[in-house]
Amino acid sequence: MALRKLAICALLAALLVPTYLWLHEMSWQQRSEVRLAQPPGYTLPSAFGRVLALGFQGLLSDFQFLRTMTFFGDRSVNQQEMSAEDWDYFAHSLEAVTDLDPYFLDPYILGEGLLTWNAQRFEQANTLLEKGIRHRTWDYVLPYYVGFNHFYFLKDYATGSRYIMQAAEIPGSPAYLKTLGARLAYYGGQSQTALLFLKQMLAETHSESLKQTMAQRLLALERAVEIETALAKFRQEQGRDVTALTELADFGYLNALPEDPYGGQWRIMENGRVYSTSKFVEVRPKK
Amino acid sequence: MMRRVWALAVVTCREGLRDRSLYGILLFALLVLGLNVAVAGFFMRQLGKVTVDMNLSALSFAGLLLVFFIGINLMAKDIDKKTIHLVLSRPFSRGEYIWGKFFGLVLLVLATLALLLVFSCATVATVRGLYPNYFDGFSWSIFFWAVLFIALQLMLLCAIVVFFSAITTSSFITLIFSMASYLVGITLEEVLFYLKSQAAQGEVIASESLQRLLEVVAWLVPNFAAFDFKTEAAHGLALDGVRLAVNAGYGVCYAALVLWLAALIFKRREFN
Amino acid sequence: MLDIQFSTINKTYKPGLFKKKVTALTEVSFSVTTGTVFGLVGPNGAGKSTTIRLLLNLSRPDSGTITVNRAPVTDRDFLRQVGYLPENPYLYDHLTLTELLRFAGAANGLPAAQIAERSALLARQTGIGHAMKRPLRTFSKGMRQRAGLCYALLHDPTLVILDEPMSGLDPLGRKMVCDLILDLKGQGKTVFFCSHILSDVERLCDALAILDRGRLVRTFSDGEMAAFRQGEASLEEAFVAAVSAQAEQGGAA
Repeated sequence: MALRKLAICALLAALLVPTYLWLHEMSWQQRSEVRLAQPPGYTLPSAFGRVLALGFQGLLSDFQFLRTMTFFGDRSVNQQEMSAEDWDYFAHSLEAVTDLDPYFLDPYILGEGLLTWNAQRFEQANTLLEKGIRHRTWDYVLPYYVGFNHFYFLKDYATGSRYIMQAAEIPGSPAYLKTLGARLAYYGGQSQTALLFLKQMLAETHSESLKQTMAQRLLALERAVEIETALAKFRQEQGRDVTALTELADFGYLNALPEDPYGGQWRIMENGRVYSTSKFVEVRPKK
Repeated sequence: MMRRVWALAVVTCREGLRDRSLYGILLFALLVLGLNVAVAGFFMRQLGKVTVDMNLSALSFAGLLLVFFIGINLMAKDIDKKTIHLVLSRPFSRGEYIWGKFFGLVLLVLATLALLLVFSCATVATVRGLYPNYFDGFSWSIFFWAVLFIALQLMLLCAIVVFFSAITTSSFITLIFSMASYLVGITLEEVLFYLKSQAAQGEVIASESLQRLLEVVAWLVPNFAAFDFKTEAAHGLALDGVRLAVNAGYGVCYAALVLWLAALIFKRREFN
Repeated sequence: MLDIQFSTINKTYKPGLFKKKVTALTEVSFSVTTGTVFGLVGPNGAGKSTTIRLLLNLSRPDSGTITVNRAPVTDRDFLRQVGYLPENPYLYDHLTLTELLRFAGAANGLPAAQIAERSALLARQTGIGHAMKRPLRTFSKGMRQRAGLCYALLHDPTLVILDEPMSGLDPLGRKMVCDLILDLKGQGKTVFFCSHILSDVERLCDALAILDRGRLVRTFSDGEMAAFRQGEASLEEAFVAAVSAQAEQGGAA
């Protein structure tokens, strides 16, 4: 009798435990597929978010920011292109995070890093940063970023210079900002200025991982500048634009077309700048 | 009189401290603090802000759980289970009973917060030791001010709990009413300012009478958001002495008024 | 020193917010003289506990006055001299008996040394000395009753009010309570107690009142009680006679 009971128990356990383990595996598998296929999330309007946070606005901002980072991370790990919708979500989410805690620096940095370089949404990035400038009045980095965007992406050197000057006036800002602002006003169009900018940004960065990312970006940018310089020389000497970038090597303006450290293909943008199909995000398949 | 109030406060606090649920609440808070150390590295720059957010939120949330799930029972169960007959057969006045219970709850909250604060300081110091470059603007004094105001906020909540326990017969009703008061009190400021800002832009979302009603409610329910200094602590924003004094005074006056009213009603109450 | 006077007390209460009023006491008058053991007996729901709550000012009569030494009970000064044991005392769950007694003493303003001394004495008398350090939640019904007695008697009150003191006690416990009451009587204290166990009442009481459905049916004087004790009359018969007479009256009305 007791033996039979024991046997039934053992049988049930032998059935139930593996089934559970198997289904557990299946369920997680499914979730990961669902998450990939999911359209970007819906961001709660800030007016509600602030109320529903029930006094935990700071914590909610941390959480929402973490989600935003994970969302972008998910897409890039799986090498999915960020769609326009995805970027909309990304931008709204950063807006929501900074509405919950307008003093939070990280979302501004992430916005500056991705909305400009990757999404080409310069105005959106600047609007976000303006909010930061209003609240983080002691922080020179944010007006500095806006100045950089105006200079590098929007080619509005006057406005860029104004923002850099604004940054330079904030106590604690590095001394070179004044020179940079002045230089920008005169030689705005030169690519070298951009390199200078990036070198400064690299110098200010503390985090090791961020430094690595920036060093890689700097390398990419240096190469882009190298190509841009060659392009300018080409135009000057040949009196026409190149039909393809390979022409630069063919005509001896470059020894060889340098490699994009992110693994993309170089191309010429509408504004004449050289950029890569990688958008300076890792596109090489993982080994 | 002071001795009687104190004796009741000590008994109430002790009864709360020995409640098993307290371990659960403490464990929960400690888990959040542990989680804090784990996730801090996920962020880019402001690890200090995230750390302070998580620490203060853990303290504040643990306090809310404490008041709602242990604190309420300490007075409501007295009435539910008729233990109050034993207490009131001693030369306690009804007012002394109210104040004794209130101070007992406050003692309980303070004792728990003090314990959690020790762990919290250790967490902050640990994360700060791990990532010393990402704590710009952090200041212990602002952090402690924020904790003090969390305690003040919870004290106010204790007064509200005592008030509702004094006028209702069931602990469940007390729980519902005090939670509702908290939810209204913590959100009201945001709603009112939002309505005002919309009205300023010419958009009328709520009718005038609704806004009036909300303003009346704001007189009755304390503005819990006024005691929230988490953002300031997270970013090390300088605190204005006047602002601290005004809000502390506001809280203390509100608590005193509510308790006085509770005592008035409690005096008329019969225990059958 | 403490004469208790109930005069024409009426009491109704509402058991719930939307429920009908219930009559608890109608025209109840009686008095208790100092130094006697007074018993209040009656069937379940007769209004015994209500009477005690009125006396302790836990609730208030609709009409009529209750005085202790000619002062109304709303003046709570007399509570200093009162010790009260409720029916089914519910004590704090997580406190130990020592802590509960310390609280009781502090509430009455006793010095710490006296509290310790009285606690030890009462614990010995009630036979609960072994459980002083245990949380009250672990106490059995009988132990709670003993703990409640300690709580009631800690400050050596002159008026002891006991609501069903024998319930939940074993025969040894009942004997302990009887001895305790007789001891209190010997010290010249007033004991006011409720019970529905007639044999105990017969043995202990100097005076007796029978309550039934909120009305005072009969009171027995000292002399009559002595007759019961000597077996010349039966309290049980008297009780049944009184209650059934009341029932007939109620039925007729």
